[in-house]
Amino acid sequence: MEKLGAQFPLISVSMIIPILGSLFVLLLPERFTKGVSFLSTGISFFVAVCSLMFFDFSKGERVQFYEQYPIIPELGINLSLGLDGLSMLMYLLTALVSFVAVLWSVRDRQIDHRIKEYFLCFLLTETFLIGVFSSWDLIVFYVFYELTLVPMLFVIGIWGYKLRLYSAYKFFIYIFISSLFLLLGIVSLAVQHYKLFGRFSFSYFDLMNNDYSLWLGVFLFMLFFVAFAVKTPIVPFHTWLPDAHGEAPTAGSVVLAAILLKMGTYALFRFNIGLFPKVVVFLMPLLVLWGIFSIVMASWFTISQNNLKRFVAYSSVSHMGFVVTGMFLLNLEGFRASIVEMFAHGLTSASLFMIAGFIYNRLHSFNMDALKGSAKFMPAFAIITVITAYSSMGLPGGSSFWGKFLTVLSAREYTTQLALLVIAGAFFSAVYVLYFMKVLFLDAKEESRLVHFTDIRGFKLSAFLLLLIPMFMVGLLPSLFFNIFDMSARKLLLSVMHKLIGG
Amino acid sequence: MELKDLIGSIELPKITLMLPELIVLITGFLLFTIDLVSKKANHKLYIGISLVGYFIAVLYIALNPYLLGSTFYGLYVRDYFSSFLQFFMILLTIFVLAFTYRYYRQKLSLYREFYYILSFALVSAMFLASSYNLITLYVALEGVSISFYILTALLRGDFNAKEGAFKYLILGGLSVALASYGAAFMYIYAGSLDLQKILTYSGQNKDLLILGLVFFLIGFAIKIGAVPFHFWLPDAYQGAPTPITAYMASVGKLAFFAPVVRIMPLIQEHFSYAWVITVGIISATTMLYGNLVALVQKDVKRLLAYSSIAHSGYILAGISVAKAIGLKAVLYFLIAYALMGAGSFLLLALLERHPQWQNKMEEFSGLRFSMPWIAVSFMIFMFSLLGVPPSVGFVGKALVFTALSFDRLWWLAFIMILATGISTGYYVRLVVLTFMKDSSRSIKVESSLAEKVVLFVLTLSLVILGAVPIIIWNFASQSADILFKR
Repeated sequence: MEKLGAQFPLISVSMIIPILGSLFVLLLPERFTKGVSFLSTGISFFVAVCSLMFFDFSKGERVQFYEQYPIIPELGINLSLGLDGLSMLMYLLTALVSFVAVLWSVRDRQIDHRIKEYFLCFLLTETFLIGVFSSWDLIVFYVFYELTLVPMLFVIGIWGYKLRLYSAYKFFIYIFISSLFLLLGIVSLAVQHYKLFGRFSFSYFDLMNNDYSLWLGVFLFMLFFVAFAVKTPIVPFHTWLPDAHGEAPTAGSVVLAAILLKMGTYALFRFNIGLFPKVVVFLMPLLVLWGIFSIVMASWFTISQNNLKRFVAYSSVSHMGFVVTGMFLLNLEGFRASIVEMFAHGLTSASLFMIAGFIYNRLHSFNMDALKGSAKFMPAFAIITVITAYSSMGLPGGSSFWGKFLTVLSAREYTTQLALLVIAGAFFSAVYVLYFMKVLFLDAKEESRLVHFTDIRGFKLSAFLLLLIPMFMVGLLPSLFFNIFDMSARKLLLSVMHKLIGG
Repeated sequence: MELKDLIGSIELPKITLMLPELIVLITGFLLFTIDLVSKKANHKLYIGISLVGYFIAVLYIALNPYLLGSTFYGLYVRDYFSSFLQFFMILLTIFVLAFTYRYYRQKLSLYREFYYILSFALVSAMFLASSYNLITLYVALEGVSISFYILTALLRGDFNAKEGAFKYLILGGLSVALASYGAAFMYIYAGSLDLQKILTYSGQNKDLLILGLVFFLIGFAIKIGAVPFHFWLPDAYQGAPTPITAYMASVGKLAFFAPVVRIMPLIQEHFSYAWVITVGIISATTMLYGNLVALVQKDVKRLLAYSSIAHSGYILAGISVAKAIGLKAVLYFLIAYALMGAGSFLLLALLERHPQWQNKMEEFSGLRFSMPWIAVSFMIFMFSLLGVPPSVGFVGKALVFTALSFDRLWWLAFIMILATGISTGYYVRLVVLTFMKDSSRSIKVESSLAEKVVLFVLTLSLVILGAVPIIIWNFASQSADILFKR
């Protein structure tokens, strides 16, 4: 894979901005905390948007803004950062959602203690996440991947709801243990490289040249897959998610759902497909069926939830099922569906969690029964909810439409039966959204409690708008986003096809 | 042989090679003499003298890293490996010394012998790191062990201390006996006391060699607390005054592992299988048992003792890969654990000075509010012990995984994943208690400047050496390469 050097160390700068912000948060008195974090996430969002201007879309398959600094040359470990089309999209999402999360937290009434630490956690998370999406050295990737756990452990454990300690534990233990397999997989790849080429390397570009016997490949693939299947999550491994997402404070859930889950799917793309094309082709039927199973099961779980946050959390699992299914269908439509769904889900899930948080501020409950008919009294809130929910359901014009539509299309390229299965999954995921809408709008409830509610205003409204605008853009102008990642998706597909024909 | 030849063959000891040991030894005797002649103990003087001696020794090593050679007819070897380990041994002793004064004043048991016994332990430990000869190893092993027995029982009135020291004494005696028994077998096999000659000798009776090697290894396995020879360790670590526990967990670990690491390059093809199986199985049981038992501990000092056992297991996993990559991983991990072990126990020693502190796990709740910086430092120690990047603990584990993958020891790698997974339970619980639980009591301990500096340096070193591992890696790599070239 070709690399384009950086005239300007864009990525390190965008990683350093939040760190600088967190230093200021640490050193300045508490009344400056919110301002500083607002500014630093805002600036890094601005930098991310500006970086689009310097990004060469026609060479999206190449790694641009590439920087490299040695860590252990003898073992071939370098801090190598860069963005190709896929990571560019994720980088944009990270900057956007981090900004939105901070914007939301500025006025979140729940965050009333240990404010400095709270914003510190979010700023650090942003840095680590940019590191995850831009690193091209597997050890460096792993370092950032693990580091995101630490601030999130604190966010869930300190500012979460009732079961916060339990959920924080569970979150950390699940992800930490599963990623130990990833670590073993990564070092095994480097050792394999040593045995083939006589030197250690953890660089993605070098490891792509590795060659394995099929069963060793399957073994290594599984080491990677376990870690990312827990992170994504795919159904039997999902049990940490409803707890973590359900108990985290609003902004924590936003970051967890919108970006942290994408780390799993991004890594599946980058590593499982990019490094093991032969194995992916071999295991494809199993993985696709697994993805569809995940969609259907998670949709059923979702319908049976009574807690609004857990409801949204489970719906995330079902969306991730679409991402996984599309990805392992191994054709261009599938890849496009999967990547655009990753972005779209980042927007809708963030918005849904903010809706849940907003309702909690008013009702002090996540109980779905408590919010019956509440939409009537808060028009702006109602509009935002409708847009988000239908986007999430996959109505044409909504952001998730392209993900679902293209998945069906790509499944159709194999057999009609497969496409029908995917459609069944899409059907179930529509059922729970409609159920949610019914509760919110159609059910009657004693109205006296709800009359005096104030609507969404100010900071929170702007946070929602920041998500709704790109949501519409994805729905109505999808080619804008396809442009960003299309070249790298094609390149990836080409490498898979090459193996398919060659091997 | 003519007299002339005999005189000619006499080799003058090269004093410059072993100057660091001599300096530490002289410091010890100086302290001993002052203690004999003076009536009243002046602890600040003792600490001052020790510090001066240790600083000179550590500077000498740091300024002459390429001092290589052997003297006393090969009884003593100075190479890169020994200089590297000795540097950290002396440094960690200095760190421990910073914590002792206030600790003992608080516990009202400031015995004067402490200072010179510490020196004698240190000098023996240094000799353990720099010899291939079974006699030297034996003497040095006894030196460290006897010093440790005394240091463990230093709180004379304390029942736990006596119990721990007694257990240590009995099992330690057994260990030395087994090691010397193994040495005897090896001597019968090769007719030499030099480990290099023994292991490269191609004699008739290979079984004798393997038998000897296994006994020798088991002797050291007792000392490093490998399961099933670990029974003394939790009691001794718990009973010993906490700065001494820190000393045993850092300098002691380095010293007892050094000879085992030193023979790694000498493992020959024909018995490498026996080596892998023996060390691998001991390693697997050690890490599983250590972590499982640590999981149910309520006493933090005991918990950290079991975690120390578990870390011995991880290091042994690296040792089972008797190749250059394994040796490098082990060296890195050894230094990493020495820093983490010293730091976590020293932090506990600081907290123990609070009159109501009893080392119970729940007492950590609310620490975030009463002593925020100590809490942050504690968190970094815990995450490093767990292996969260970018800490030395993580780099160590990653390197051991690399070594295991190199030899395709998948089963051991999976056991290590399992063991680390188990350890998540208690390390994260401690972090959660420290940061996320409120408590009505607030523990606040005044600390001296030296203690603050030492804790800060240790905490920072975990992160810096983990994020920029090349600092240790270069030394580890070079010492391993030199050992393999010999």
